[in-house]
Amino acid sequence: MSERIEALQEIVARDQVWSRMAAKWGVENPVPPWKTSLDGMCDALDNAACDADIPTFKERRDEEDELTATVYSDLPYPENQLVSLAHSLVARGVIDEAELKERLASIRKRLEA
Amino acid sequence: MTEHDHDHDHDHDRTVAPMVDEITDFEVLEIALRELCIEKGIFSAEEHRLMTEFAEQIGPTPAAHLVAKAWLDPKFKELALAEPMTASKEVGVDWLHPTGWGTPSDFTAFQILADTPTVHNVIVCALCSCYPRPILGNSPEWYRTPNYRRRLVRWPRQVLAEFGLYLSDEITVHVQDSNQKHRFMVMPMRPEGTDDWTEDQLVEILTRDCLIGVALPKAGVTTNMITDTRPAIHPGNAG
Repeated sequence: MSERIEALQEIVARDQVWSRMAAKWGVENPVPPWKTSLDGMCDALDNAACDADIPTFKERRDEEDELTATVYSDLPYPENQLVSLAHSLVARGVIDEAELKERLASIRKRLEA
Repeated sequence: MTEHDHDHDHDHDRTVAPMVDEITDFEVLEIALRELCIEKGIFSAEEHRLMTEFAEQIGPTPAAHLVAKAWLDPKFKELALAEPMTASKEVGVDWLHPTGWGTPSDFTAFQILADTPTVHNVIVCALCSCYPRPILGNSPEWYRTPNYRRRLVRWPRQVLAEFGLYLSDEITVHVQDSNQKHRFMVMPMRPEGTDDWTEDQLVEILTRDCLIGVALPKAGVTTNMITDTRPAIHPGNAG
């Protein structure tokens, strides 16, 4: 679980955390706009019933605790929650790392179009 | 532009709140995970939307109203302690169907812990971060940290003091550990100086922290403590 995932390490290195971005743009919201969608995704995953190796609620939180204390200890909350979830899903083989990299690039292209 | 163009009724000072006008990696990552999960059939877009709407509309206000009503009406207090699910419905929360379409977790029991002059209650989830979300909203960041979870059960008075809550030795501290099946909230005692207050006035001092048990309601105090969250120390890496 603690093996580094390159695509996520790049995101950590770029450090576009909400506290920094909010200060840069003069925004006062305490949490980033994607936070409730992340909460919805965690709830949806906890309720998921399928063949993929989806973590249970307890496994997801345990892995988040482990990863936020180690691999992602430099990230604040809720960025560490999001990146830990991504890490869990890649480490469990639910999402392939190459597939994730490709999707990150295509989404950024779409959003910046 | 002519003078005439400005001769209409609108407010030139009105501006929209600033926003982050830049695509961040974290925003992209959240979308990527969501899209891939939906495409793989792990959950549907509809399920995600409903869960997100739930996450957006919850907060501590129903819990604050529940306690304020109990302070004002002894019969409602009896109901709240004996049948917390029924009392919750009176403040708009149905624990079995908190979203109107289902439950986002599998909790099956909810209990309200009433403080007394000699017992102070505080809630925690030592295992993960179970929290009475339908009635109290999303948990604060510090509630999720191993620091709070591990230390509260061992050194409750010290941890409460870190929130600015100092309790005398005559008061027993009761730490209630939540779990996947049980959720709890605290009903603090009504503070002095609030005798003629209305329900809405009382609600203002019933902050989230008071309902978790890391603070006591006080006339004039309407905000939560800002806690400097400590980074988790992984036992495997410690010293």
